[in-house]
Amino acid sequence: MSIVFVIDMDLQAFNQRILPVRGRLFRMAQLFLRSREEAEDAIQDVFLRLWSNRHQLETYQSVEALAVQMTRNICLDRLKSHQKQKTSGEVDLSAFQADAASPYRELEISDNNLLIKRLINELPDQQKLVLHLRDVEEYTFEEIEEVTGMSVNNIRVILSRARQKLRANYVKENDYESGY
Amino acid sequence: MNQDIEVLLEKYYDGDTTLEEEKVLKSFFQNENVPAHLQSHAAQFRYYVESAHEQPTITFDERLNLILNPAPEKPIKKLTSWFMRIAAGLALVLVGFGGGALYNKLQNNSVADVAEIDVAPIQEIKTVLAFEHTQSTSASERIQAVNQSYTLSKADQDITQLLVNTLNFDPNVNVRLASCQALLRFKDEQGVTESLIQSLGIQTDPILQITLIETLVAIKEKRAVDQIQQLAKDQQILEAVRTKAQEGAHKLSQETSPSV
Repeated sequence: MSIVFVIDMDLQAFNQRILPVRGRLFRMAQLFLRSREEAEDAIQDVFLRLWSNRHQLETYQSVEALAVQMTRNICLDRLKSHQKQKTSGEVDLSAFQADAASPYRELEISDNNLLIKRLINELPDQQKLVLHLRDVEEYTFEEIEEVTGMSVNNIRVILSRARQKLRANYVKENDYESGY
Repeated sequence: MNQDIEVLLEKYYDGDTTLEEEKVLKSFFQNENVPAHLQSHAAQFRYYVESAHEQPTITFDERLNLILNPAPEKPIKKLTSWFMRIAAGLALVLVGFGGGALYNKLQNNSVADVAEIDVAPIQEIKTVLAFEHTQSTSASERIQAVNQSYTLSKADQDITQLLVNTLNFDPNVNVRLASCQALLRFKDEQGVTESLIQSLGIQTDPILQITLIETLVAIKEKRAVDQIQQLAKDQQILEAVRTKAQEGAHKLSQETSPSV
């Protein structure tokens, strides 16, 4: 009975600390894997690993940073093993629906979103990750440092490059498209 | 305002904006009325805001919950399975005991029933063999009734008397034969052997005469010697019967003489 109780407490603590991050981890996984199913599969893997190592979690300063690291690593591993059978993966359009917008604008926005998504995806892994952590997840530089192990200065440089490159590519794509 | 945005955008691309400043940019580009010259910056900020809301599907959450939360379920499951096992074991044992008890009961019943069941055949034998009914019953029915006496563990006077009557007076020789054989079973009953000896004088049918002689010789009934010798002397009787009677009388007297 007491054992069950301890596990229950453990689970509660685990749920409180880890589960709120699952959306974040999911978006991270999607950043690399691009299909919902693959991403969910990957973070399920992350949660299982975290759960089975739950007794050591106390020793980590930030469990979230650890989880993000694990997610990135697992996703990169999976990318490597799936490189050959490269499927573009279905993009969930419903995720980009804008509220109270005309169908035309809605289409334009989702088109733009798809384009941005694709362009981000084409960035080098490091830039992609830093850009995502900062602009989507709104991490502080210190938090990014904790996850990536890079110095804040380094992170700033990478972030700046990523933003400029994304913008340049976007403009290029738009000009290219409007040229027709 | 627009100039502020332009300054912020410059800082943004240099990686120098704070999170607060980035939030300002994001909310600015959420606005539909973005000036044309800033339009090309809008898409990325809108994407960031949009994609920050993305969540795993509900089914994923449920799946994850199932994986992480098996703890409260497991003990219950194990408990029930243990209960089921014990219950199944107990049920088997009970079925075993029950079956045994039932079997025993049935056995006892069948033993007890014999005594009870006897009543029915006795009644039947009595009605079928009753002298006044011989006209209305067939020979085979009467033979069957006689044979039913074999199911009786013990015969009373009524039955043996009935069989003796059948032996002596039934119009059908086969029925008489059957009752002769049936009576042999009750030879220890009072008056049965006497009736058999007596019957020797009554029977006229050779088969029955021979059967009676054989029967009496077989049970070593010495009292029958006189009667059998009488049969042997009777010239009206079939020769085969006479020889049989002589033979029987000889056997019976031989058995008596050494002991005397």
